[in-house]
Amino acid sequence: MTFTPTDLEVEGAAGGETAGESLPASPPASGRRLVRTFLRDRAAVACCVYILLVIVVALAAPLLVKISGWGPYEFDQSAVDPDLGGIPLGTAGGISAEHWFGVEPGNGRDIFARIVYGARVSMTIALLATVLTSVLGVVFGLIAGYFGGRVDMIVSRVMEFLMAFPALIFMIAVLSALPAENRQLLLVVVISFFGWPYLARIVRGQTMSIKEREFVESARASGASSAQIIFKEILPNLTSTIIVMTTLAVPGYVGTEAGLSFLGVGVVPPTPSWGQMIAGSVPWYAVDPAYFLFPGACLFLLVLSFTVLGDRVKKIAESGEGRV
Amino acid sequence: MTTTAPETGADPTLLRVRDLTVGFTTAQGPVDVVENLDFDLERGGALGIVGESGSGKSMTSLAIMGLLPKGARRSGSIEFAGTELTGLPERGMRAVRGDRIGMIFQDPLSSLNPYYTVGTQIAEAYRSHRKGVTRRQARTVAIEAMERVHIRDAARRVDHYPHQFSGGMRQRVMIAMTLSMEPELIIADEPTTALDVTVQAQILDLLAEIRAETGAGLILITHDLAVVSEVTDHIVVLRDGDLVEAGPVERIFTDPQEEYTRMLLDAVPRIDDEIGLLRTTSAAEEGR
Amino acid sequence: MSRFLINRVLGMAVVLFLVCLFTFVVFFVLSPDPAVQICGKNCTPEAIDQIRANLGLDQPFWTQFWTFLSGLFAGRTYGTGANAIECAAPCLGYSFQTSQPVTDMIVQRLPVSATVAIGAAVLWLLAGVSAGLVSAVREGRFADRFVTGLTLTGMSIPNYVLALSLQFLLVVTLGWLPFPQAVPFADDPVRWFLNFLMPWIVLAIGAAAVYTRLTRANVIDTLQENYVRTARAKGLRPDLVWRRHALRPALTPIVTIFGMDFANLLGGALITETVFGLNGIGKLAADSITKNDQPVIMGVTLLAAFLVVVGNMVVDLTYTAIDPRVRVGSAK
Repeated sequence: MTFTPTDLEVEGAAGGETAGESLPASPPASGRRLVRTFLRDRAAVACCVYILLVIVVALAAPLLVKISGWGPYEFDQSAVDPDLGGIPLGTAGGISAEHWFGVEPGNGRDIFARIVYGARVSMTIALLATVLTSVLGVVFGLIAGYFGGRVDMIVSRVMEFLMAFPALIFMIAVLSALPAENRQLLLVVVISFFGWPYLARIVRGQTMSIKEREFVESARASGASSAQIIFKEILPNLTSTIIVMTTLAVPGYVGTEAGLSFLGVGVVPPTPSWGQMIAGSVPWYAVDPAYFLFPGACLFLLVLSFTVLGDRVKKIAESGEGRV
Repeated sequence: MTTTAPETGADPTLLRVRDLTVGFTTAQGPVDVVENLDFDLERGGALGIVGESGSGKSMTSLAIMGLLPKGARRSGSIEFAGTELTGLPERGMRAVRGDRIGMIFQDPLSSLNPYYTVGTQIAEAYRSHRKGVTRRQARTVAIEAMERVHIRDAARRVDHYPHQFSGGMRQRVMIAMTLSMEPELIIADEPTTALDVTVQAQILDLLAEIRAETGAGLILITHDLAVVSEVTDHIVVLRDGDLVEAGPVERIFTDPQEEYTRMLLDAVPRIDDEIGLLRTTSAAEEGR
Repeated sequence: MSRFLINRVLGMAVVLFLVCLFTFVVFFVLSPDPAVQICGKNCTPEAIDQIRANLGLDQPFWTQFWTFLSGLFAGRTYGTGANAIECAAPCLGYSFQTSQPVTDMIVQRLPVSATVAIGAAVLWLLAGVSAGLVSAVREGRFADRFVTGLTLTGMSIPNYVLALSLQFLLVVTLGWLPFPQAVPFADDPVRWFLNFLMPWIVLAIGAAAVYTRLTRANVIDTLQENYVRTARAKGLRPDLVWRRHALRPALTPIVTIFGMDFANLLGGALITETVFGLNGIGKLAADSITKNDQPVIMGVTLLAAFLVVVGNMVVDLTYTAIDPRVRVGSAK
């Protein structure tokens, strides 16, 4: 199940333009003050710290694995009990000085190493999908909002079509039919393909209102080309909207990637991914809960951090608009 | 400052406000938006409260109604027909609101609920104050009230929704809603500001007519001195929450005592001409 | 009004046609040759050609698409002669792995998915709206911040993580719930209920969090509306102000989203059904993905799209009925 932020759709009935209007249309006056507000928010800081930690871990994965001593693809049959169907030896899923987070039941692969490498997959896919979605969303939103008329009609129809589509099940269907090579790139493309309309719709609405403003009129009167107006006059005014929308979207992409991998159509084994590790732990959860707890907790905390961060960024952007 | 009624006998004062202060606590500390305000309104009298936006005039009206936003402080005395309103419990205040003091707001579209017909909205106020009134009776009252504010075809229009009315007609609906309760005091907060210039004069005429008909007291809150001169007989000028000047309309217009009042007056040149003009040009508009 | 209805239905038909076409193209281009799959191990090139001819796979794309579309409305026959397989309308395809028409497979699973969807929907609607109301009434206070914290957590926990955690906690560790096992309602209603309890909760939590935030935001916004002030100025009782002037406008938009989410869920809760081993449409899809049973995957995709598009339309129609501004606007 994906629950898209449909609350943005609701208010259209009353006031013509949708909720995008409530997001700031001008850059906040004092960046430093916003940063200070942000730093005073302990939850937001904690979330940032966790996200940075995951990024650092992902970047330093080979180094960390060298320190811990076990690679993500190495089997350690001595850590599991073949007589009990491969349950890890020792307490809590085989946690020991050797295996910091224990081992996978059955084949004895080191969970710490797989988590660390899994972070790479989660972060790469989520961040790349965010970048691609934002680019698509901003470009199509700007084009539709600025040029209007037939261009707008075509882009809007495509957006409506994509948003009416049962995205998750279709992603699964497409991914299951596609060959396994380059799966990470495919995931990014498929997620972005269904994700861009949500940003584009809001960018379109704001572009439509900004292009009527005086400074755009005067730029046009002084002979600026459409490209100059779009990129020099309109785009800078959309910055905070884009930042807010993007931050709010990241947790969705982290979750989608993990969900697809969980269902077996995401990252292909043996490459580790958190969602796939959780899927692998399903048959074992009763006897070896540690196997799903580690990737489950890492994933939950990452999604939570991005969600809280998005929530706070949105609030700060809104109050920055209202009170500066 | 007191504007006493000429006649004597039973207490002629409908509303007596003394030392009214309304304040908020902000991040920068406490701020008073209305400070130590005094004024009186006799029965059947009409008072204009004039000031620029932020002068505290709307807060004054909300303070009388007991409808100040959350977090607001109110002190001083508001005596309405011999009853002290500031000491009244919420239940008692509710019996006053709508029934004895009616209020008309600035933007008639947003002040009416888009989900209900205007008839329902007029009738619901009536039914909540008059016990044992049937739906049918309340509906009849609503239609009568709409007829009194000159809404044509009221029996049919009563079942329409606010968005189906023009701006001026919506304000007439708001007035009808207030009128249906036969209040002793009507507070109109910028009743014409959101309307077209041509419609403004008609609504002012209507308010004057209603006042003459029902004998209700009227407090008209506005930033526009021209509006006040049209309808009221006394004026209170506010600035930044303080009372600047108060007195009968003629005196304020002919002989303003304060620099600020003079400035406001300068902002509306040739008042008489303009109002005369308004009335003639708009006569055709609202009659449809 | 009727013109509006016709336009709406036509628009829906176009979207559904595009969904069919889009899905068909994707599977036509991407899927491995079904003939090879059907043929099995001891296969000869001749046998494959024979199967391709029987299934019409040797036909050009548009012919195949037309056959598929007409199958939806009139049914179709796979193969010829004695081996011919009838697929009655609405024919969504035929699964050669299970030797069953896809439509039948879906219809068999529908009751479970519907049970899951309805229970979860009731739960999230109740929980979400009431938590949102509490949060709005106590805005800025402890209860509000507590609920907000809960919603952020609820939105962030992936449902399979939640499902496994709940199962581990409630079934394995505490033993409060029996091990999930399919039991018909008539045999043991209590067991049946307990069986569905965890799937309902798991599905409801994420949505409840979203509905809480939505309700809170809408109620807070509505309370700022001038017409709420008017209602107070009229001297209405607080409960009337709330019921008539705050709740109705605030909760009406929720109908829109609810219709969409419910339709979405009816098409199968893939992850939840898989984790809890419930034989619904979602599990059917997940199993078919594992077995690479393309006709079934395509059938489920089309069904889900159909439900979403129809749900969208029902929501629009409901909206015109409950929001007077839309109603009259469309009549003009």
